[in-house]
Amino acid sequence: MRRGTWRAWGLATLIAVTTAGCGVLPPLPEPVPSEITPSGAAGLEPALGSDPLSPDGFDAVQRMAVRVRNVGCDELSTGSGFAIDKHTLITNKHVVADSSNLQVSTYDGRDIDVGTAATAALADLAIVRTRDALPSFPELAEADPEQGDDVTIIGYPSGGELTISSGLVIGSTRDPLNANLGEVLVTDAKVEPGSSGSAALDSQGRVIGVVYAKTADDDSLLVPISTVREMLSDSAAFEDVTTCTGS
Amino acid sequence: MTTTPPVLPPAAGPDVPHPPPSPPGAGPRGRRSGAAPWLAVALVLALALAGYLWVTTTEWQRTSQEWQDEANRYASEAATLDQQLDGANAEVDAAREQLAAATGRISELANEKAQLGDENVASRQHLDYQARVSQAAAKVAVALGQCVNAQDQLIGYLEDADAYDPAGLTRFKDEVGELCDKANDANQALQEELRS
Repeated sequence: MRRGTWRAWGLATLIAVTTAGCGVLPPLPEPVPSEITPSGAAGLEPALGSDPLSPDGFDAVQRMAVRVRNVGCDELSTGSGFAIDKHTLITNKHVVADSSNLQVSTYDGRDIDVGTAATAALADLAIVRTRDALPSFPELAEADPEQGDDVTIIGYPSGGELTISSGLVIGSTRDPLNANLGEVLVTDAKVEPGSSGSAALDSQGRVIGVVYAKTADDDSLLVPISTVREMLSDSAAFEDVTTCTGS
Repeated sequence: MTTTPPVLPPAAGPDVPHPPPSPPGAGPRGRRSGAAPWLAVALVLALALAGYLWVTTTEWQRTSQEWQDEANRYASEAATLDQQLDGANAEVDAAREQLAAATGRISELANEKAQLGDENVASRQHLDYQARVSQAAAKVAVALGQCVNAQDQLIGYLEDADAYDPAGLTRFKDEVGELCDKANDANQALQEELRS
């Protein structure tokens, strides 16, 4: 009896040791796969310092800007503007006033066929409808900028090359020209005659105002985006421009 | 010198069966024969373990070599791709420079076109102005000519004033004066326009 008990214990111990031993033995290796794929897909982020791609190498802010040539009955003037959708652009009332013919061209020199133009009674704003499609248009900001915010202005100062100037929002003031109802924005971004109608953008590329004048201190005055939105939402705010017929 | 233990005589009493006496030396031999199967089992297990470990080791060696080969192949591929990436990056940089030059040139051409358009419009407006001025000058010249002719005619009438009705002469003189005043005014306006 005693020997049988020991044998049983021994057998049990042997089985236990063998079973436990099998557990710690190294397994056979997995076969090497024929194709090895990365465990995680590599990120497709643009390389550091690279510019975002555009259809033709021009920035979106350049693509939305337009040059406005106002052929008057007796004289010629130029201004700037920017698209707000495929067939509508915004500029200043004084840019399109007293014209016999409005001519619009894009950043790459293409001429855009102009349809109609309308001006706002209570602000130095005008809407020009085009028959040709405009290349690009920005987003309008929801609210006016705060003092100290960055501002970028893109337009055609002095009727020359498309130019980008930067600055800060200085504050707001009553319109010294009395061309706009309510307050207008003041920035230290440089503008020139011909910049009228340029889009003023915030750091995210959204429109925060429309350039319409400069002060004696070389600061620029903007129609704030809140006024632009207010005018755009009121279809009765704009009246068709009367063209001159020549002398 | 060994001593043997004393053999006790069987106890008196009722007959009790006794196990048969084991032959001398049967105890240790029985234990050995009992351990033999265990040893055999342990030997088999050890052999099996050794065989398994041998197979496992050779398999790991084989797969390790295959992984090494794969690693070398991928390292070689990575080196090649790295070189290709350097080349592609150089081409991208060159393309970016070309694109920047092209966009700059496009901007210049767009500006030149705009300036030429402005000049064209300005020239056309100037030509229109010149045409208007020329037309006005022609009208002024005609008016002045009419004035001169009328004055000549008036002088002729005055040289033979007795042959004409004085009231008619006066009326004609006033008409000539009015015509010449208009011609002078037109000439004055033209001169001022040309001066501005």
